Amino acid sequence: MTHQSINKAACLLIAAVVLGLPLVVRSATYLHILVLLYFYAYLTTSWNLVGGFAGVLPLGHAAFVGIGAYTSSILYLQYGISPWLGMIVGGVLATIVGILIGLPTFKMRGAYFALATIAFAEGIRVMIENIDRLGPFVLNGPRGLQIPPLNLGLKNFLFASKEPYYYIILLMLGAVLVLTYAISRSKLGYYLNAGGEEPEAAMALGVNVARAKLIAMAMSSFLTALAGTFYAQFTLYIHPKSVVSLDLSFEIAFIALIGGRGSIAGPVLGALLLRPVSDFSRIYFGDTLPGLHLVIFGVVLILVMIYQPRGLQEPLTRLYNNLVDRLVGRRVGELQA
Amino acid sequence: MNILEIKNLYKDFGGLRALNDLSLTIEQGQIFGLIGPNGAGKSTAFNCIAGVYAPTGGEIFFNGARINGEKPWTLCTKGLARTFQIVKPFATKTVLYNVMVGSFARTANRAIAEEKALEVLEYLHFTKHKDTRAGNLTIADRKRLEIARALATEPKLLLLDEVMAGLRPSEVDEMVEIIKDLRDRGVTIFVIEHIMRAIMALSDHVVVLHFGQKIAEGTPRQVASDEKVIKAYLGDEYVVSAN
Repeated sequence: MTHQSINKAACLLIAAVVLGLPLVVRSATYLHILVLLYFYAYLTTSWNLVGGFAGVLPLGHAAFVGIGAYTSSILYLQYGISPWLGMIVGGVLATIVGILIGLPTFKMRGAYFALATIAFAEGIRVMIENIDRLGPFVLNGPRGLQIPPLNLGLKNFLFASKEPYYYIILLMLGAVLVLTYAISRSKLGYYLNAGGEEPEAAMALGVNVARAKLIAMAMSSFLTALAGTFYAQFTLYIHPKSVVSLDLSFEIAFIALIGGRGSIAGPVLGALLLRPVSDFSRIYFGDTLPGLHLVIFGVVLILVMIYQPRGLQEPLTRLYNNLVDRLVGRRVGELQA
Repeated sequence: MNILEIKNLYKDFGGLRALNDLSLTIEQGQIFGLIGPNGAGKSTAFNCIAGVYAPTGGEIFFNGARINGEKPWTLCTKGLARTFQIVKPFATKTVLYNVMVGSFARTANRAIAEEKALEVLEYLHFTKHKDTRAGNLTIADRKRLEIARALATEPKLLLLDEVMAGLRPSEVDEMVEIIKDLRDRGVTIFVIEHIMRAIMALSDHVVVLHFGQKIAEGTPRQVASDEKVIKAYLGDEYVVSAN
Protein backbone atom coordinates (compact mmCIF):
# COMPACT_ATOMS: atom_id res chain seq x y z
CA MET A 1 0.00 0.00 0.00
CA THR A 2 1.38 3.42 -0.97
CA HIS A 3 0.57 6.97 0.05
CA GLN A 4 -1.33 7.51 -3.16
CA SER A 5 -3.57 4.51 -2.74
CA ILE A 6 -4.34 5.56 0.84
CA ASN A 7 -5.14 9.09 -0.33
CA LYS A 8 -7.41 7.69 -2.99
CA ALA A 9 -9.12 5.43 -0.48
CA ALA A 10 -9.63 8.37 1.89
CA CYS A 11 -11.17 10.45 -0.90
CA LEU A 12 -13.51 7.62 -1.86
CA LEU A 13 -14.49 7.14 1.77
CA ILE A 14 -15.31 10.82 2.18
CA ALA A 15 -17.26 10.80 -1.08
CA ALA A 16 -19.26 7.76 0.04
CA VAL A 17 -20.01 9.35 3.41
CA VAL A 18 -21.18 12.70 2.05
CA LEU A 19 -23.23 11.02 -0.67
CA GLY A 20 -24.88 8.70 1.82
CA LEU A 21 -25.48 11.21 4.61
CA PRO A 22 -29.04 12.18 3.58
CA LEU A 23 -30.01 8.50 3.88
CA VAL A 24 -28.99 8.58 7.54
CA VAL A 25 -29.78 12.16 8.47
CA ARG A 26 -33.55 12.36 8.13
CA SER A 27 -34.08 15.55 10.12
CA ALA A 28 -34.76 18.56 7.91
CA THR A 29 -33.01 20.82 10.43
CA TYR A 30 -29.76 18.90 10.28
CA LEU A 31 -29.89 18.62 6.52
CA HIS A 32 -30.42 22.38 6.39
CA ILE A 33 -27.34 22.86 8.56
CA LEU A 34 -25.33 20.55 6.30
CA VAL A 35 -26.49 22.35 3.17
CA LEU A 36 -25.39 25.68 4.65
CA LEU A 37 -22.08 24.11 5.66
CA TYR A 38 -21.40 23.08 2.05
CA PHE A 39 -22.67 26.46 0.88
CA TYR A 40 -20.10 28.23 3.04
CA ALA A 41 -17.34 25.79 2.06
CA TYR A 42 -18.20 26.52 -1.57
CA LEU A 43 -18.21 30.30 -1.03
CA THR A 44 -14.90 30.21 0.82
CA THR A 45 -13.28 27.99 -1.79
CA SER A 46 -14.34 30.47 -4.48
CA TRP A 47 -13.06 33.34 -2.34
CA ASN A 48 -9.79 31.46 -1.88
CA LEU A 49 -8.91 31.89 -5.57
CA VAL A 50 -8.32 35.57 -4.85
CA GLY A 51 -8.00 35.73 -1.09
CA GLY A 52 -5.78 32.69 -0.83
CA PHE A 53 -3.80 32.23 -4.02
CA ALA A 54 -3.37 35.87 -4.96
CA GLY A 55 -2.42 36.86 -1.43
CA VAL A 56 -4.85 39.76 -1.03
CA LEU A 57 -7.73 40.01 1.44
CA PRO A 58 -11.01 40.79 -0.28
CA LEU A 59 -13.73 41.57 2.26
CA GLY A 60 -16.61 42.30 -0.05
CA HIS A 61 -17.53 38.99 -1.60
CA ALA A 62 -21.09 39.25 -0.30
CA ALA A 63 -21.65 41.72 -3.15
CA PHE A 64 -21.24 38.86 -5.65
CA VAL A 65 -23.52 36.59 -3.65
CA GLY A 66 -26.09 39.38 -3.76
CA ILE A 67 -25.68 39.99 -7.48
CA GLY A 68 -26.17 36.29 -8.17
CA ALA A 69 -29.17 35.99 -5.88
CA TYR A 70 -30.91 39.13 -7.10
CA THR A 71 -30.26 38.56 -10.80
CA SER A 72 -31.68 35.07 -10.97
CA SER A 73 -34.57 35.91 -8.64
CA ILE A 74 -35.62 38.98 -10.61
CA LEU A 75 -35.38 37.09 -13.90
CA TYR A 76 -37.44 34.24 -12.47
CA LEU A 77 -40.08 36.30 -10.66
CA GLN A 78 -40.64 38.90 -13.37
CA TYR A 79 -39.88 37.03 -16.57
CA GLY A 80 -40.28 33.38 -15.65
CA ILE A 81 -36.73 32.60 -16.75
CA SER A 82 -35.35 29.40 -15.22
CA PRO A 83 -33.04 30.13 -12.29
CA TRP A 84 -30.45 27.86 -13.89
CA LEU A 85 -30.16 30.35 -16.74
CA GLY A 86 -30.42 33.24 -14.28
CA MET A 87 -27.54 31.70 -12.39
CA ILE A 88 -25.28 32.05 -15.43
CA VAL A 89 -26.50 35.59 -16.14
CA GLY A 90 -25.81 36.52 -12.51
CA GLY A 91 -22.36 34.96 -12.77
CA VAL A 92 -21.51 36.98 -15.86
CA LEU A 93 -22.80 40.17 -14.23
CA ALA A 94 -20.76 39.48 -11.10
CA THR A 95 -17.68 38.82 -13.24
CA ILE A 96 -18.03 42.24 -14.84
CA VAL A 97 -18.48 43.91 -11.45
CA GLY A 98 -15.54 41.89 -10.07
CA ILE A 99 -13.26 43.09 -12.84
CA LEU A 100 -14.45 46.68 -12.38
CA ILE A 101 -13.65 46.43 -8.66
CA GLY A 102 -10.34 44.68 -9.30
CA LEU A 103 -8.99 47.11 -11.91
CA PRO A 104 -8.47 50.05 -9.53
CA THR A 105 -8.01 48.10 -6.28
CA PHE A 106 -5.39 45.48 -7.19
CA LYS A 107 -2.78 48.23 -7.23
CA MET A 108 -3.41 48.75 -3.51
CA ARG A 109 -1.70 46.73 -0.87
CA GLY A 110 -2.73 45.05 2.37
CA ALA A 111 -5.35 46.84 4.40
CA TYR A 112 -6.09 49.40 1.68
CA PHE A 113 -7.26 46.70 -0.69
CA ALA A 114 -9.41 45.11 2.02
CA LEU A 115 -10.98 48.48 2.87
CA ALA A 116 -11.65 49.28 -0.78
CA THR A 117 -13.48 45.99 -1.31
CA ILE A 118 -15.57 46.61 1.83
CA ALA A 119 -16.45 50.03 0.48
CA PHE A 120 -17.58 48.63 -2.87
CA ALA A 121 -19.67 45.88 -1.29
CA GLU A 122 -21.29 48.24 1.20
CA GLY A 123 -22.00 50.66 -1.62
CA ILE A 124 -23.82 47.95 -3.52
CA ARG A 125 -25.77 46.94 -0.39
CA VAL A 126 -26.89 50.50 0.36
CA MET A 127 -27.92 50.92 -3.26
CA ILE A 128 -30.07 47.79 -3.23
CA GLU A 129 -31.56 48.78 0.10
CA ASN A 130 -32.66 52.14 -1.21
CA ILE A 131 -33.86 51.23 -4.66
CA ASP A 132 -37.37 49.85 -5.10
CA ARG A 133 -37.24 49.78 -8.86
CA LEU A 134 -34.25 49.86 -11.16
CA GLY A 135 -35.74 50.59 -14.59
CA PRO A 136 -38.01 47.64 -15.28
CA PHE A 137 -36.56 45.54 -12.46
CA VAL A 138 -38.29 45.38 -9.08
CA LEU A 139 -35.77 45.19 -6.23
CA ASN A 140 -38.15 45.95 -3.36
CA GLY A 141 -35.47 47.80 -1.39
CA PRO A 142 -35.04 46.58 2.19
CA ARG A 143 -38.10 44.31 1.96
CA GLY A 144 -36.29 41.96 -0.38
CA LEU A 145 -37.66 39.36 -2.76
CA GLN A 146 -39.73 36.32 -1.98
CA ILE A 147 -39.85 33.31 -4.26
CA PRO A 148 -43.19 31.52 -3.96
CA PRO A 149 -42.73 27.76 -3.59
CA LEU A 150 -44.97 27.00 -6.57
CA ASN A 151 -44.25 25.01 -9.73
CA LEU A 152 -41.71 22.82 -8.03
CA GLY A 153 -39.26 20.89 -10.13
CA LEU A 154 -35.73 20.76 -11.49
CA LYS A 155 -36.45 23.32 -14.21
CA ASN A 156 -37.44 25.95 -11.67
CA PHE A 157 -34.72 24.98 -9.16
CA LEU A 158 -37.46 24.51 -6.53
CA PHE A 159 -37.87 21.39 -4.44
CA ALA A 160 -40.16 20.36 -1.62
CA SER A 161 -37.48 18.49 0.34
CA LYS A 162 -33.92 19.34 1.34
CA GLU A 163 -32.26 16.37 -0.38
CA PRO A 164 -32.09 17.81 -3.92
CA TYR A 165 -30.53 21.00 -2.56
CA TYR A 166 -28.07 18.89 -0.63
CA TYR A 167 -26.87 17.10 -3.75
CA ILE A 168 -26.80 20.22 -5.88
CA ILE A 169 -24.57 22.17 -3.47
CA LEU A 170 -22.45 19.07 -2.92
CA LEU A 171 -21.90 18.80 -6.66
CA MET A 172 -21.05 22.51 -6.85
CA LEU A 173 -18.60 22.17 -3.97
CA GLY A 174 -16.94 19.13 -5.54
CA ALA A 175 -16.61 20.93 -8.88
CA VAL A 176 -15.10 24.07 -7.38
CA LEU A 177 -12.64 21.98 -5.33
CA VAL A 178 -11.48 20.13 -8.44
CA LEU A 179 -11.17 23.45 -10.27
CA THR A 180 -9.14 24.97 -7.44
CA TYR A 181 -6.86 21.95 -7.34
CA ALA A 182 -6.27 22.16 -11.08
CA ILE A 183 -5.54 25.90 -10.89
CA SER A 184 -3.11 25.48 -7.99
CA ARG A 185 -1.01 23.16 -10.14
CA SER A 186 -1.25 25.28 -13.29
CA LYS A 187 0.79 28.20 -14.57
CA LEU A 188 -1.92 30.57 -13.32
CA GLY A 189 -1.69 29.10 -9.82
CA TYR A 190 2.09 29.53 -9.74
CA TYR A 191 1.78 33.07 -11.06
CA LEU A 192 -0.88 34.00 -8.49
CA ASN A 193 1.17 32.67 -5.61
CA ALA A 194 4.36 34.31 -6.86
CA GLY A 195 2.64 37.63 -7.45
CA GLY A 196 1.00 37.50 -4.04
CA GLU A 197 4.22 36.81 -2.21
CA GLU A 198 6.83 38.94 -4.01
CA PRO A 199 5.25 40.99 -6.78
CA GLU A 200 8.50 42.64 -7.91
CA ALA A 201 10.35 39.35 -8.22
CA ALA A 202 7.36 37.78 -9.97
CA MET A 203 7.21 40.58 -12.53
CA ALA A 204 10.91 40.18 -13.27
CA LEU A 205 10.24 36.49 -13.95
CA GLY A 206 7.66 37.27 -16.59
CA VAL A 207 4.53 37.38 -14.44
CA ASN A 208 1.94 40.01 -15.29
CA VAL A 209 0.77 40.14 -11.69
CA ALA A 210 -2.19 42.47 -12.22
CA ARG A 211 -3.51 40.34 -15.07
CA ALA A 212 -3.22 37.10 -13.10
CA LYS A 213 -5.11 38.67 -10.21
CA LEU A 214 -7.84 39.96 -12.50
CA ILE A 215 -8.31 36.49 -14.01
CA ALA A 216 -8.58 35.05 -10.51
CA MET A 217 -11.01 37.77 -9.48
CA ALA A 218 -13.17 37.14 -12.56
CA MET A 219 -13.37 33.43 -11.81
CA SER A 220 -13.92 33.99 -8.12
CA SER A 221 -16.75 36.48 -8.57
CA PHE A 222 -18.43 34.27 -11.19
CA LEU A 223 -18.35 31.22 -8.92
CA THR A 224 -19.48 33.22 -5.90
CA ALA A 225 -22.51 34.54 -7.76
CA LEU A 226 -23.60 30.99 -8.62
CA ALA A 227 -23.83 30.31 -4.90
CA GLY A 228 -26.02 33.41 -4.54
CA THR A 229 -28.61 31.90 -6.87
CA PHE A 230 -28.43 28.65 -4.93
CA TYR A 231 -29.05 30.49 -1.67
CA ALA A 232 -32.07 32.32 -3.09
CA GLN A 233 -33.61 29.08 -4.36
CA PHE A 234 -32.85 27.32 -1.11
CA THR A 235 -34.18 29.87 1.37
CA LEU A 236 -36.80 31.37 -1.00
CA TYR A 237 -36.33 34.79 0.55
CA ILE A 238 -33.52 37.23 -0.01
CA HIS A 239 -33.04 40.74 1.28
CA PRO A 240 -30.01 43.05 1.33
CA LYS A 241 -29.10 42.19 4.92
CA SER A 242 -29.02 38.47 4.20
CA VAL A 243 -27.13 38.24 0.93
CA VAL A 244 -25.14 41.47 0.62
CA SER A 245 -24.24 42.02 4.25
CA LEU A 246 -20.80 42.70 5.65
CA ASP A 247 -21.39 39.83 8.10
CA LEU A 248 -21.45 37.39 5.21
CA SER A 249 -18.25 38.81 3.70
CA PHE A 250 -16.55 38.60 7.08
CA GLU A 251 -17.74 35.08 7.78
CA ILE A 252 -16.22 33.90 4.48
CA ALA A 253 -12.91 35.51 5.42
CA PHE A 254 -13.10 34.08 8.95
CA ILE A 255 -13.59 30.57 7.63
CA ALA A 256 -10.71 30.96 5.19
CA LEU A 257 -8.28 32.44 7.71
CA ILE A 258 -9.04 29.86 10.38
CA GLY A 259 -9.07 26.92 7.99
CA GLY A 260 -6.00 28.09 6.09
CA ARG A 261 -6.12 30.42 3.10
CA GLY A 262 -4.27 29.44 -0.02
CA SER A 263 -4.71 25.72 0.56
CA ILE A 264 -7.32 23.48 -1.03
CA ALA A 265 -8.51 21.86 2.18
CA GLY A 266 -8.45 25.03 4.31
CA PRO A 267 -11.84 26.48 3.34
CA VAL A 268 -13.58 23.12 3.73
CA LEU A 269 -11.96 22.48 7.11
CA GLY A 270 -12.81 26.00 8.22
CA ALA A 271 -16.45 25.58 7.27
CA LEU A 272 -16.53 22.17 8.94
CA LEU A 273 -15.26 23.68 12.20
CA LEU A 274 -17.04 27.02 12.24
CA ARG A 275 -20.45 26.39 10.71
CA PRO A 276 -21.64 24.11 13.53
CA VAL A 277 -20.48 26.72 16.05
CA SER A 278 -22.49 29.35 14.28
CA ASP A 279 -25.62 27.18 13.82
CA PHE A 280 -25.71 25.73 17.30
CA SER A 281 -25.01 29.00 19.01
CA ARG A 282 -27.94 30.39 17.06
CA ILE A 283 -30.17 27.47 18.04
CA TYR A 284 -29.35 27.59 21.73
CA PHE A 285 -28.42 31.22 22.35
CA GLY A 286 -30.20 32.90 19.45
CA ASP A 287 -32.62 34.78 21.70
CA THR A 288 -30.38 35.46 24.70
CA LEU A 289 -27.01 36.10 23.05
CA PRO A 290 -27.50 36.88 19.36
CA GLY A 291 -24.20 37.24 17.51
CA LEU A 292 -22.42 34.96 19.97
CA HIS A 293 -20.97 32.97 17.07
CA LEU A 294 -19.11 36.02 15.78
CA VAL A 295 -17.55 36.50 19.22
CA ILE A 296 -16.47 32.84 19.24
CA PHE A 297 -15.11 33.22 15.69
CA GLY A 298 -13.11 36.21 16.85
CA VAL A 299 -11.57 34.34 19.76
CA VAL A 300 -10.80 31.32 17.60
CA LEU A 301 -9.29 33.55 14.93
CA ILE A 302 -7.00 35.25 17.45
CA LEU A 303 -5.84 31.89 18.81
CA VAL A 304 -5.28 30.46 15.35
CA MET A 305 -3.37 33.54 14.18
CA ILE A 306 -1.09 33.30 17.23
CA TYR A 307 -0.42 29.57 17.19
CA GLN A 308 -1.10 28.50 13.59
CA PRO A 309 -0.80 31.57 11.37
CA ARG A 310 -1.15 29.43 8.26
CA GLY A 311 -4.47 28.07 9.43
CA LEU A 312 -5.62 24.81 10.92
CA GLN A 313 -5.07 22.91 7.69
CA GLU A 314 -1.33 22.84 8.36
CA PRO A 315 -1.26 20.84 11.61
CA LEU A 316 -4.13 18.68 10.38
CA THR A 317 -2.35 17.90 7.12
CA ARG A 318 0.76 17.01 9.10
CA LEU A 319 -1.28 14.77 11.38
CA TYR A 320 -2.86 13.04 8.41
CA ASN A 321 0.50 12.53 6.70
CA ASN A 322 1.98 11.07 9.89
CA LEU A 323 -0.94 8.70 10.17
CA VAL A 324 -0.53 7.58 6.57
CA ASP A 325 3.22 7.22 7.12
CA ARG A 326 2.61 5.01 10.08
CA LEU A 327 0.10 2.92 8.17
CA VAL A 328 2.49 2.47 5.27
CA GLY A 329 5.42 1.90 7.60
CA ARG A 330 3.64 -0.75 9.61
CA ARG A 331 2.62 -2.59 6.47
CA VAL A 332 6.24 -2.68 5.36
CA GLY A 333 7.26 -3.91 8.82
CA GLU A 334 4.64 -6.65 8.76
CA LEU A 335 5.82 -7.84 5.40
CA GLN A 336 9.36 -8.12 6.62
CA ALA A 337 8.32 -10.02 9.75
CA MET B 1 26.07 42.62 -32.58
CA ASN B 2 25.05 44.90 -29.72
CA ILE B 3 22.60 43.18 -27.40
CA LEU B 4 22.11 46.25 -25.22
CA GLU B 5 22.64 49.86 -26.09
CA ILE B 6 21.98 52.75 -23.74
CA LYS B 7 22.03 56.29 -25.09
CA ASN B 8 22.13 59.37 -22.86
CA LEU B 9 20.07 57.83 -20.09
CA TYR B 10 18.70 60.14 -17.37
CA LYS B 11 16.72 59.23 -14.28
CA ASP B 12 15.49 61.80 -11.75
CA PHE B 13 13.85 61.08 -8.41
CA GLY B 14 12.26 64.40 -7.55
CA GLY B 15 15.22 66.79 -7.41
CA LEU B 16 17.82 64.04 -7.27
CA ARG B 17 19.49 63.07 -10.52
CA ALA B 18 20.29 59.38 -10.02
CA LEU B 19 21.53 58.81 -13.57
CA ASN B 20 23.20 61.54 -15.55
CA ASP B 21 23.77 61.08 -19.28
CA LEU B 22 24.76 57.42 -19.09
CA SER B 23 25.68 55.74 -22.36
CA LEU B 24 27.06 52.27 -22.80
CA THR B 25 27.07 49.43 -25.31
CA ILE B 26 27.17 45.73 -24.53
CA GLU B 27 28.11 43.27 -27.23
CA GLN B 28 26.66 39.81 -27.48
CA GLY B 29 28.68 37.30 -25.46
CA GLN B 30 30.38 39.86 -23.24
CA ILE B 31 30.67 39.87 -19.49
CA PHE B 32 30.12 43.54 -18.81
CA GLY B 33 30.87 44.97 -15.37
CA LEU B 34 29.28 47.98 -13.72
CA ILE B 35 31.01 49.27 -10.60
CA GLY B 36 30.94 52.37 -8.46
CA PRO B 37 30.72 53.49 -4.84
CA ASN B 38 27.49 53.10 -2.86
CA GLY B 39 24.71 55.29 -4.21
CA ALA B 40 26.38 55.74 -7.58
CA GLY B 41 23.22 54.70 -9.42
CA LYS B 42 24.09 51.15 -10.43
CA SER B 43 20.87 49.52 -9.28
CA THR B 44 18.89 52.45 -10.69
CA ALA B 45 20.47 51.74 -14.07
CA PHE B 46 19.41 48.08 -13.76
CA ASN B 47 15.90 49.04 -12.77
CA CYS B 48 15.61 51.33 -15.81
CA ILE B 49 16.83 48.60 -18.13
CA ALA B 50 14.58 45.93 -16.61
CA GLY B 51 11.47 48.09 -16.85
CA VAL B 52 10.94 48.78 -13.15
CA TYR B 53 11.51 52.54 -13.62
CA ALA B 54 10.65 54.55 -16.68
CA PRO B 55 13.72 56.62 -17.59
CA THR B 56 13.41 60.41 -17.37
CA GLY B 57 15.34 60.80 -20.61
CA GLY B 58 17.43 58.86 -23.08
CA GLU B 59 16.94 55.61 -24.92
CA ILE B 60 17.49 51.90 -24.25
CA PHE B 61 17.77 49.36 -27.05
CA PHE B 62 17.61 45.62 -26.49
CA ASN B 63 18.49 43.47 -29.50
CA GLY B 64 18.05 46.54 -31.69
CA ALA B 65 14.53 47.35 -30.48
CA ARG B 66 13.70 50.33 -28.29
CA ILE B 67 12.44 49.14 -24.91
CA ASN B 68 11.87 52.39 -22.98
CA GLY B 69 8.88 52.10 -20.69
CA GLU B 70 8.18 48.44 -21.44
CA LYS B 71 6.97 46.35 -18.55
CA PRO B 72 9.27 43.94 -16.69
CA TRP B 73 7.24 40.87 -17.68
CA THR B 74 7.32 41.63 -21.42
CA LEU B 75 11.06 42.27 -21.21
CA CYS B 76 11.45 38.93 -19.48
CA THR B 77 9.71 37.10 -22.31
CA LYS B 78 11.93 38.98 -24.77
CA GLY B 79 14.95 37.44 -23.08
CA LEU B 80 16.04 39.95 -20.45
CA ALA B 81 16.29 38.52 -16.94
CA ARG B 82 17.59 40.01 -13.72
CA THR B 83 18.37 39.18 -10.11
CA PHE B 84 17.73 41.47 -7.16
CA GLN B 85 20.41 42.88 -4.90
CA ILE B 86 18.07 42.36 -1.96
CA VAL B 87 16.98 38.80 -2.64
CA LYS B 88 13.25 38.23 -3.04
CA PRO B 89 12.50 34.53 -2.80
CA PHE B 90 8.91 33.24 -2.65
CA ALA B 91 9.72 32.31 0.93
CA THR B 92 6.87 29.93 1.79
CA LYS B 93 7.41 27.89 -1.38
CA THR B 94 10.02 25.24 -2.17
CA VAL B 95 13.09 25.95 -4.25
CA LEU B 96 11.66 23.92 -7.12
CA TYR B 97 8.42 25.95 -6.98
CA ASN B 98 10.43 29.17 -7.10
CA VAL B 99 12.37 28.08 -10.17
CA MET B 100 9.23 26.78 -11.89
CA VAL B 101 7.72 30.27 -11.72
CA GLY B 102 10.64 31.26 -13.92
CA SER B 103 10.37 28.36 -16.33
CA PHE B 104 6.66 28.99 -16.84
CA ALA B 105 7.75 32.08 -18.79
CA ARG B 106 8.48 29.80 -21.77
CA THR B 107 5.71 27.21 -21.46
CA ALA B 108 2.26 26.72 -20.01
CA ASN B 109 2.86 23.00 -19.58
CA ARG B 110 3.57 21.97 -16.01
CA ALA B 111 5.65 18.90 -16.87
CA ILE B 112 7.90 20.85 -19.24
CA ALA B 113 8.28 23.66 -16.71
CA GLU B 114 9.26 21.19 -14.00
CA GLU B 115 11.75 19.44 -16.25
CA LYS B 116 13.34 22.75 -17.23
CA ALA B 117 13.51 23.84 -13.57
CA LEU B 118 15.19 20.60 -12.53
CA GLU B 119 17.68 21.03 -15.36
CA VAL B 120 18.61 24.49 -14.09
CA LEU B 121 18.91 23.25 -10.50
CA GLU B 122 21.15 20.42 -11.63
CA TYR B 123 23.32 22.85 -13.58
CA LEU B 124 23.77 25.05 -10.48
CA HIS B 125 24.47 22.02 -8.22
CA PHE B 126 21.34 22.91 -6.32
CA THR B 127 19.25 19.77 -6.76
CA LYS B 128 19.69 18.63 -3.19
CA HIS B 129 17.76 21.70 -2.01
CA LYS B 130 14.86 21.38 -4.44
CA ASP B 131 12.35 20.53 -1.72
CA THR B 132 13.67 23.03 0.82
CA ARG B 133 11.43 25.95 1.65
CA ALA B 134 13.08 29.04 0.14
CA GLY B 135 12.67 30.96 3.39
CA ASN B 136 14.96 28.47 5.14
CA LEU B 137 17.90 28.89 2.77
CA THR B 138 21.21 30.51 3.73
CA ILE B 139 22.06 33.84 2.12
CA ALA B 140 24.46 32.17 -0.32
CA ASP B 141 21.79 29.72 -1.41
CA ARG B 142 19.23 32.50 -1.74
CA LYS B 143 21.57 34.28 -4.16
CA ARG B 144 21.92 31.06 -6.06
CA LEU B 145 18.14 30.72 -6.14
CA GLU B 146 17.90 34.23 -7.63
CA ILE B 147 20.18 33.10 -10.45
CA ALA B 148 18.35 29.79 -10.87
CA ARG B 149 14.98 31.51 -11.26
CA ALA B 150 16.38 34.02 -13.73
CA LEU B 151 18.07 31.28 -15.77
CA ALA B 152 14.86 29.28 -15.92
CA THR B 153 13.33 32.07 -18.02
CA GLU B 154 16.01 31.32 -20.68
CA PRO B 155 17.48 34.81 -20.94
CA LYS B 156 19.71 36.17 -23.68
CA LEU B 157 20.91 38.94 -21.38
CA LEU B 158 21.23 38.39 -17.66
CA LEU B 159 21.51 41.29 -15.22
CA LEU B 160 23.22 40.19 -12.01
CA ASP B 161 22.91 42.67 -9.14
CA GLU B 162 25.57 41.93 -6.53
CA VAL B 163 25.11 38.18 -6.52
CA MET B 164 28.43 37.69 -4.71
CA ALA B 165 27.97 40.08 -1.82
CA GLY B 166 28.00 38.15 1.43
CA LEU B 167 29.53 35.00 -0.03
CA ARG B 168 32.63 33.26 1.33
CA PRO B 169 35.75 33.37 -0.87
CA SER B 170 35.30 29.76 -2.01
CA GLU B 171 31.70 30.50 -2.91
CA VAL B 172 32.79 33.59 -4.84
CA ASP B 173 35.17 31.44 -6.89
CA GLU B 174 32.40 28.98 -7.62
CA MET B 175 30.08 31.79 -8.69
CA VAL B 176 32.79 33.24 -10.97
CA GLU B 177 33.10 29.86 -12.68
CA ILE B 178 29.33 29.60 -13.10
CA ILE B 179 29.11 33.06 -14.66
CA LYS B 180 31.96 32.31 -17.05
CA ASP B 181 30.31 29.05 -18.04
CA LEU B 182 27.01 30.83 -18.65
CA ARG B 183 28.76 33.20 -20.99
CA ASP B 184 30.27 30.25 -22.83
CA ARG B 185 26.73 28.93 -23.28
CA GLY B 186 25.74 32.11 -25.07
CA VAL B 187 24.22 34.24 -22.31
CA THR B 188 25.43 37.81 -22.24
CA ILE B 189 26.11 38.96 -18.67
CA PHE B 190 25.75 42.44 -17.24
CA VAL B 191 27.01 42.41 -13.69
CA ILE B 192 27.04 44.86 -10.77
CA GLU B 193 29.59 43.85 -8.20
CA HIS B 194 31.47 45.26 -5.26
CA ILE B 195 33.94 42.42 -4.89
CA MET B 196 36.84 43.69 -6.98
CA ARG B 197 38.59 40.34 -7.13
CA ALA B 198 35.52 38.89 -8.86
CA ILE B 199 34.88 41.78 -11.21
CA MET B 200 38.52 41.87 -12.30
CA ALA B 201 38.57 38.16 -12.95
CA LEU B 202 35.27 38.17 -14.83
CA SER B 203 34.72 41.26 -16.88
CA ASP B 204 35.71 41.88 -20.46
CA HIS B 205 34.73 45.49 -20.09
CA VAL B 206 33.98 47.70 -17.08
CA VAL B 207 32.08 50.95 -16.64
CA VAL B 208 32.53 53.01 -13.49
CA LEU B 209 29.63 55.11 -12.19
CA HIS B 210 29.98 57.95 -9.70
CA PHE B 211 27.02 60.14 -8.70
CA GLY B 212 25.09 58.81 -11.68
CA GLN B 213 27.78 59.69 -14.18
CA LYS B 214 30.14 57.48 -16.11
CA ILE B 215 33.66 58.47 -15.02
CA ALA B 216 35.70 55.71 -16.63
CA GLU B 217 35.39 52.81 -19.01
CA GLY B 218 37.69 50.13 -20.36
CA THR B 219 39.29 46.81 -19.48
CA PRO B 220 39.45 46.02 -15.77
CA ARG B 221 43.16 46.86 -15.74
CA GLN B 222 42.70 50.25 -17.41
CA VAL B 223 39.91 51.18 -15.06
CA ALA B 224 41.72 50.12 -11.91
CA SER B 225 44.61 52.46 -12.63
CA ASP B 226 42.40 55.37 -13.63
CA GLU B 227 43.01 58.41 -11.45
CA LYS B 228 39.35 59.46 -11.32
CA VAL B 229 38.28 55.99 -10.22
CA ILE B 230 40.76 55.85 -7.37
CA LYS B 231 39.64 59.33 -6.33
CA ALA B 232 35.99 58.29 -6.36
CA TYR B 233 36.60 55.21 -4.25
CA LEU B 234 39.30 56.37 -1.86
CA GLY B 235 39.40 60.17 -1.91
CA ASP B 236 41.87 62.73 -3.27
CA GLU B 237 44.81 62.04 -0.99
CA TYR B 238 45.28 58.48 -2.28
CA VAL B 239 46.02 59.44 -5.85
CA VAL B 240 49.69 58.81 -6.42
CA SER B 241 50.86 61.15 -9.11
CA ALA B 242 53.08 59.63 -11.77
CA ASN B 243 55.63 62.41 -11.55
